[in-house]
Amino acid sequence: MLEVKKLNAAYGKVHVLHDVSLHVKEQEIVSIIGANGAGKSTLMRNIMGIYHPKSGDILFHGESLSKLKTDQIVKKGIVYVPEGREVFADLSVEDNLEMGAFSRKYSAGKYRDLLEEMYTIYPRLKDRRKQLAGSLSGGEQQMLAIARGLMSEPEMIMFDEPSLGLAPVIVDEMFDVILRINKEKKLPVLLVEQNAFAALSISSRCYVLENGVVNAEGKSRKLMDSPDIKRAYLGG
Amino acid sequence: MIKKLRYPLAVVFAFVLPLIVSNTYYVTMFCLTLIYMIIAFGLNFITGMTGQMNLGTAGIFCLGAYTSALLTTRLSLSPWIGMAASAAVGFLIGVGLGYPSFRLEGVYLSLTTIAFGEVVRQLANNMTSVTGGAQGVRNIPPFTVFGYEIVTKIQNYYFILVFVILFAFTAYRIIHSKWGRAFIAIRDNIEAVETCGINTAHIKIVAFTLAAVYGCVAGSLYAHYSAYINASSFTLNLSVSFVVMILIGGMGNLWGCMLGAVIVSMLPEFLRFTGEYYQLTYSILILLCIVFMPGGILTALKRQQK
Repeated sequence: MLEVKKLNAAYGKVHVLHDVSLHVKEQEIVSIIGANGAGKSTLMRNIMGIYHPKSGDILFHGESLSKLKTDQIVKKGIVYVPEGREVFADLSVEDNLEMGAFSRKYSAGKYRDLLEEMYTIYPRLKDRRKQLAGSLSGGEQQMLAIARGLMSEPEMIMFDEPSLGLAPVIVDEMFDVILRINKEKKLPVLLVEQNAFAALSISSRCYVLENGVVNAEGKSRKLMDSPDIKRAYLGG
Repeated sequence: MIKKLRYPLAVVFAFVLPLIVSNTYYVTMFCLTLIYMIIAFGLNFITGMTGQMNLGTAGIFCLGAYTSALLTTRLSLSPWIGMAASAAVGFLIGVGLGYPSFRLEGVYLSLTTIAFGEVVRQLANNMTSVTGGAQGVRNIPPFTVFGYEIVTKIQNYYFILVFVILFAFTAYRIIHSKWGRAFIAIRDNIEAVETCGINTAHIKIVAFTLAAVYGCVAGSLYAHYSAYINASSFTLNLSVSFVVMILIGGMGNLWGCMLGAVIVSMLPEFLRFTGEYYQLTYSILILLCIVFMPGGILTALKRQQK
């Protein structure tokens, strides 16, 4: 459903992505792994229209996204959970979720059902729903950012480094949530991670991005056994 | 208990205030303070909540005042029509200036708003055939309510007070709506707002248009209240004082706006004893306020309670 074709991206004169192509099919979890500076976040931001590609195209359901603005892309059904838990610290948990639904016109009943659904996915948000988002723990903020993304009922969800700065226990919990969202809501997931092991374990396919070039791609299980990947990303 | 009663209490206080302090000079000050409150409520949307600096409020205020003043003196229209026209001008400023400016950020935005304020003031000063130039506009007729003219200071006070209450109520409703929360979200984290599928430029323009409509209506009230306006009162200095109002009162909070308007307009009275050191004392006080109570007086008080 998402297809990135020969994408080239640059910040001014610095060429970051070179002919990157990838695709995401219905209901699958696809991960992109790579070191710092490989261009993972740049790729995400280009897909989301925060930056616009130099050349190449991004298709969603066959429709080009590369000229659209971020808010239009979200309306097309792609949601992006940015790196570093970008919640609205000065708003309550519930108001954060409301912002996620801003671009949609829900009936009051439908809106309440969606809120309830978020609270069943991650019950701790319900206990804290009147609390300011800034007072939540890192893990809770990440869950809130995910739930906020789901409030617009997307057709596909993308995560940028969801495990960044979280305690290992929380990381497991969060990946469980991502898996559940993928299974229960039948939502395709595109995930960018530095934590290669976790990313490979939950995804069905994976792309390895190195210095702005896709160096390897394939079934995650296979990549996990590849000696090159093991050496470079899995520590042995 | 007090929390629930604070709104009616504030209204009652405002209604009895000129009965206690009936000195005409003070009532004049109160009227001006009330008008500034309306402007502060408006500025609060764009600067207080959305976090976008606006240093062109005097220009907005000026356009509102001149629109109403010129329509009523030159075309002998009713002040009510003048006020409606002012509100419409506010809307036009919001969309017309907001659309190009709010693609800019930070310093560039501040600069455009300063430029806007100056352009308006210069126009008012130099388009003599329309605005009367440096002589200003004289004999602006007062409002009439059910056949009664609002002439005396006390009458004006109550008349303006009704508008303050109306505008405060509307502002309260907007602050506690999803729009209000979107304003705060932009101040908090603009990138995340975009990834929520919200068009941030659009939201900023809404906030700015609200500020412009509030400012223009306040301008209309001011013109008919003072019966005489002159371009030289709408300076950059005035724009800065509006920002100072919401800064020292407490950003994003209606009580803060009111407190700020009261302090900025009444402080000169209390500092009168300082004589020629007035400007110095005033500036130092404001500076101290900002350094030691960065979120404004109300935020500092709240923190103390906790």
